[in-house]
Amino acid sequence: MPCPDALKVQAYVDGELDSAGAQEVEHHLETCIECSAVKKQIEDTRALMRDKASYYRADPALQGRIQGTLPGKAAPPQEKPRWRWLGGFWTGLTGGSLATAAAAAAAFFLWLAPAADPLVIDVTNAHLRSIASEHLTDVASSDQHTVKPWLAARADVSPPVGDFSSQGFTLVGGRVDFVGGMRTAATVYRHGAHIINVFTWANRRETLPQTSTWNGYHVVFWRRGNLVFCAISDIALNDIQRLSQLLQAEAMPSGRE
Amino acid sequence: MDERRRRFEAQALPHLDAAVNLARWLARSPADADDIVQDAMLRAFRAFDGFRGNDAKPWLLAIVRNCWRNQAGDKKRRGHVPLPDEQDAVNDNPIVHDGASPEALAVSADERRKLDGVIATLPEEFREVLVLREMEDLSYREIAEVTGAPVGTVMSRLSRARAMLREKWLGQLEGARHAVS
Repeated sequence: MPCPDALKVQAYVDGELDSAGAQEVEHHLETCIECSAVKKQIEDTRALMRDKASYYRADPALQGRIQGTLPGKAAPPQEKPRWRWLGGFWTGLTGGSLATAAAAAAAFFLWLAPAADPLVIDVTNAHLRSIASEHLTDVASSDQHTVKPWLAARADVSPPVGDFSSQGFTLVGGRVDFVGGMRTAATVYRHGAHIINVFTWANRRETLPQTSTWNGYHVVFWRRGNLVFCAISDIALNDIQRLSQLLQAEAMPSGRE
Repeated sequence: MDERRRRFEAQALPHLDAAVNLARWLARSPADADDIVQDAMLRAFRAFDGFRGNDAKPWLLAIVRNCWRNQAGDKKRRGHVPLPDEQDAVNDNPIVHDGASPEALAVSADERRKLDGVIATLPEEFREVLVLREMEDLSYREIAEVTGAPVGTVMSRLSRARAMLREKWLGQLEGARHAVS
């Protein structure tokens, strides 16, 4: 296979390719020393910028001055809202100047995914893997009292698990899976002929992507306590959201943060 | 007004650190960066009703960048444009990532100062894409939104910027090795 454009390798490292494009580059990297070197160089400069260069933060004096100059009454102090950042899934698409820019550059970056969040791609790949490999569950059971302790013992987190058969979501089982390079608890539900994976991991204060649709799969994120949840399936978006609500209503394990 | 302020505090203020970091890397002076950010936050607040979107971060950073350009333009008209020499680039008192990994904490102050100096001497269009991509984790489209450049340009600048940083940093290390031997 001929080497892809260096910018495409870069787009791969930056998590900007769709799953097909990412797979293609990954496959090429397995055998190409030159492109692997390009990837390594990008990762090296990333490490410099992230781990070694200075990151400047607002000092309290500046924060105070800004709070003082803004008109209106300040909200009463509460939990720091820092972690409430939501990923800019659509912002990029709504900017007017950007639309022009995108049109101008369209021919050039056709292989770029439309505003693909790396986490969304990763979750989609994990979902597809689970279905394609017929490795859907490590523990197959419709009994939440079997699935929950199994996950708790192996996946670092103990997510709420419920059997919502009467609401149309049958518990199929659970497995340990990897998303974003991290071990997660995957709980599997069936809705009609469709499979829904719900991934759960411990909150790392990361920015979560917006609800999105990627390659025909809807991906919904939410947080609860110190856990992050991500449900993915090809069922209707409002059905996934219904499952999300059912899970959010499910009791959290005691002793959570 | 209070309602707008409440929304602004929930959606825009969480990105204050990102605003400061970008302003500081663009202006390369703590005092200028603070002025730019203060100006930008006030402008952002006034324009906030027109903000439509889910993520205020790129929107806010675009305002910061505009304020920096305005300030830089004023300075040029007043006739003092400090050259981005090494001395200028040295950070007097950098605040390190809090919650930094042990590895990051182990980075010597000297190494950090040198690296900061190298980044500060990159031309601004390359410096800003590196900061936006690697420190602020913006996507190509978001960087395009902040900088007003087409996505294709963002990609090629980012590639150039990475190559330049790598080359200069290796040159710096090489120079240090010669000085020792």
